[in-house]
Amino acid sequence: MEILLLFSVFVIATCGLIYELVAGTLASYLLGDSVTQFSTIIGVYLFAMGIGAWLSRFFKKELLSWFIQLEILVGFVGGISSAALFLLFEHAMSFRLVLYLLVGLTGTLVGLELPLLMNILKNRYEFRDLVSRVFTFDYIGALLASIVFPLLLVPYLGLIRTSCFFGILNVLVAMIVLVKFHREIKWAAYLKIKAIAVILFLTAIFIRADAIMSFAEGMAFRDPVIFAHTSPYQRIVLTSGKTDLRLYLNGNLQFSSADEYRYHEALVHPVMMYARAHQQVLILGGGDGMAARELLKYPDVEHITLVDLDPAMTRLFRGNTLLTKLNAHSLQSPKLSVVNADAFQWLKANKALYDVVIIDFPDPGNYAVGKLYTTAFYRQLRRSLSDSSVVVVQSTSPYVAPRAFWCVDTTLQTCGYHTIPYHTYVPSFGEWGYVMASPSALHQQQDAVPEGLRYFAAAVFPQMRQFTADMDKRTVRPNQLNNQVLVQYFEDEWGKYQE
Amino acid sequence: MNGENTRSKPLTRKDFLRYMALIAGGTITVGQYTACTNKTDKYAHITGKINGASAAVGHRLRSGGFPTPTVTGHTNTVIVGSGVAGLSAARKLRQHSIPFTMLELEPTAGGNAGYGENAYSAYPLGAHYLPLPNPDNKALLALLEEAGILTGYDPDGVPVYHETDLCFDPEERLFIHNRWQEGLIPQLGITPAVAEEIQRFLAEMERLRRVKGADQRFAFDIPVANSSTDPLFTALDHISMKTWLHQQGYHSEELNWYLDYCCRDDYGADAGAISAWAGIHYFAGRKGRAANADASQVLTWPQGNGRLTQHLLQFSKDALLTNSLVYQVSRVGEKVQVDYYDVKEHITKGIIADHCIMATPQFITHRLLPAMTHATAFVYSPWVVANVTLDEVPASSGYPLSWDNVVYKGRSLGYVNAQQQTLSATAPPKQVITWYLPLDHLGAVASRKYALALDHAHWVKLIADDLETAHKDIHRLIRQIDVQVWGHGMVRPYPGFISSEELKRAREHPYPNVFPAHSDLSGISIFEEAFYHGNRAADEVIARS
Repeated sequence: MEILLLFSVFVIATCGLIYELVAGTLASYLLGDSVTQFSTIIGVYLFAMGIGAWLSRFFKKELLSWFIQLEILVGFVGGISSAALFLLFEHAMSFRLVLYLLVGLTGTLVGLELPLLMNILKNRYEFRDLVSRVFTFDYIGALLASIVFPLLLVPYLGLIRTSCFFGILNVLVAMIVLVKFHREIKWAAYLKIKAIAVILFLTAIFIRADAIMSFAEGMAFRDPVIFAHTSPYQRIVLTSGKTDLRLYLNGNLQFSSADEYRYHEALVHPVMMYARAHQQVLILGGGDGMAARELLKYPDVEHITLVDLDPAMTRLFRGNTLLTKLNAHSLQSPKLSVVNADAFQWLKANKALYDVVIIDFPDPGNYAVGKLYTTAFYRQLRRSLSDSSVVVVQSTSPYVAPRAFWCVDTTLQTCGYHTIPYHTYVPSFGEWGYVMASPSALHQQQDAVPEGLRYFAAAVFPQMRQFTADMDKRTVRPNQLNNQVLVQYFEDEWGKYQE
Repeated sequence: MNGENTRSKPLTRKDFLRYMALIAGGTITVGQYTACTNKTDKYAHITGKINGASAAVGHRLRSGGFPTPTVTGHTNTVIVGSGVAGLSAARKLRQHSIPFTMLELEPTAGGNAGYGENAYSAYPLGAHYLPLPNPDNKALLALLEEAGILTGYDPDGVPVYHETDLCFDPEERLFIHNRWQEGLIPQLGITPAVAEEIQRFLAEMERLRRVKGADQRFAFDIPVANSSTDPLFTALDHISMKTWLHQQGYHSEELNWYLDYCCRDDYGADAGAISAWAGIHYFAGRKGRAANADASQVLTWPQGNGRLTQHLLQFSKDALLTNSLVYQVSRVGEKVQVDYYDVKEHITKGIIADHCIMATPQFITHRLLPAMTHATAFVYSPWVVANVTLDEVPASSGYPLSWDNVVYKGRSLGYVNAQQQTLSATAPPKQVITWYLPLDHLGAVASRKYALALDHAHWVKLIADDLETAHKDIHRLIRQIDVQVWGHGMVRPYPGFISSEELKRAREHPYPNVFPAHSDLSGISIFEEAFYHGNRAADEVIARS
């Protein structure tokens, strides 16, 4: 009997700390800045436990039944906490509020546990003995939790399964107590049903954890996955590591928050330097809003039309606080309108002319995306340009895939564009290439770039236009709908690189 | 040569028995699985219907007994039939301001180049592509230029085509050894000896593409009428393609399969049933080039050659009378009277004209002009074209979904992706694929009866089973199958037919002012031939007007 109750204390303590660690880890994954997150989560959690302890005074009768009730509830709330937070991350307007409410609730319930248990046991043991044993097992449980959490649970079970597993343990404690003391307990049958229901529910989440957050995917990425969503168009995955946040579309890295400024500054500012006018800007792709962020640094940009296929992308980068911090709320700007449409189809219907066009499509890794890099596409684009408009196309790596890179350049030239190919170094991508293009000859119009850039300056551009022998111009065929040579070059070159 | 290849015998006894067995088998199979509960029928969820040329109305031609028509009009020229030949003739007459009326049995014009459309895609019901025209085929090049498909010529005079009209890459794949390979000629898992044989064959076709006869004409040309009459080459019409392959030492299974496939694709029957001249013409007749495409590429559209008939129809829309079954063409003095049955109003009418262009296949022509007795020499391959709407074409190992997708040694010719020419970079909500099957397992007549006797459930089983060979469990993704049965799909160039007296006689004028015009007058059923004969007949009318 005694062993059983002390074992309960041990389990309760382990579970309690696990919930706290899960919340802290989740918060640092989802919101970044782990020191702040851990410290505030621990603070809120401990404070809530204090509230729980204070509340324990109001429980006077049927303590055993209440304890069982409590265990079931803790198991339920703690068990679903990480799955719930992952799911709410995408939808909740203020994720922080949800997070702290959940942490507060869990803390309060956990805070109730030990005082309640001590009250139950106070008549069965001498007080001195009781305090000593309960707290001994409490702290042993805490030690165990803090060791297994980082070493075993996170790497092997993942966060969702960890919290489910400990939720189930909590409810099992309730079940054991229920069975052992069934004579002393009111509503025993009702509690048993409830406990079984919660165990089944948590087991279901445990099994379905892959669906909620693909476990395998979590393993495939370098860093923990904090968001994953399969839209009708693509798989969007956000990961959060020690130093950066990364966005992957269909498993391909789109940016790392650590160095995306290099990529996006190099994408946007050269074309702005060469454009005669900046009033009307079109972004094709670029649903993350990063290119728009750079554009909005120019006061003479009057309107930006952003055409991105996937509403899930633009919604995510407009609504999530972590991501709007990255794109400086560019997608909420009154100067910007978002159109969720297929770029090729949209261009066919478009009648407006644009001064500047930023084309930031995924790499031409398959025949579907390859269409967006064809002569047919660039000819269609010409109808949305004036003679002096300037376009920039992200054009994969001239180091890894020189033929693919120069194929974009050749394709644009075949359609009558004047081009300036250039490249830059983005640590998370490697050497990266762009092609600037215009229906008329390209001349630099201004030296000034907005203040506060971290990478690009007019003086750097001549250097970006230099191509060393290992990435210099190759003779390639233009990419057409009826040959799709770009996809073949791209697969060839990246395939070899990845072998 | 066996009985199936030559002449349109009504129905041989052997075929009749095989046909009865097939029908009985089919009925029993279908009966069995409709008798079982729907749960066990894995295809029960697939909807759709059977369409076809209006066989029931058409067969009224055989029974005859039409009441005396009222003459309702006079015109310069009546064009009977609005397939590609009729439409081409109409365009030419319109360009020369010659008044005409065009009569069509079906509710729409277009013939074999017809097309359909559902919520997800337009799709072909028959002919679905045009190879790059030969440089000498100026009339066809001019048509394509007029339609905006040919955008100009490069400095060397080579045509430049509109990029969205050229077949998008990836173009072709073959399912062989449980894997999709690029291209239709077997490559995967073949021995070096076979590879060498295939190379030898292709080199020979390349030689024959350029070779000229004693008359300085290409041995094989399009239109067929421009080909050399040098006996060195025309002699090839008297043996089958299979025999020729054998004589030339091409024995490999892979190459022989490929040529069976090609003959079935273009002529609706395998290499054993097709003349060597026609079999070689498939390769050597094509000499087209493009400045912005490889010579082997084709022009294609979601609605197939419906793109071309839509263009042609602009010239004759106002002169077209559909649902009009012509049942008699007769001479009235110097004029010609065309009598037709108005399918909608159930009355007979007559038009008196100076000229009549018979843009009809010969099995129809001889019913209208009983003097044309040579029609029995014409054999028509029945075809089935099915448009399959499905959630998606499942990914499988090897080369990705292409325009043309063929299964090595498959019963059908595989399928064409109707949405290949879409410009959007994303997969459509539902995919539509067009599946082709020439019915050549029996003789032409028996196959035709077989095809017309089957119900939808049986077609679904046949088509879905065939698709399952390369895509296991694809039936779960299939929503709808619409079946188009072409009882007389295309004329069959069996050995001896192209050089036959009957074919020559079919091209002659039954009356001085009646002009035959149909692709089957060339012995092969392709757009270019229909276009040629339509233009030729129109030119003859113009010369006499």
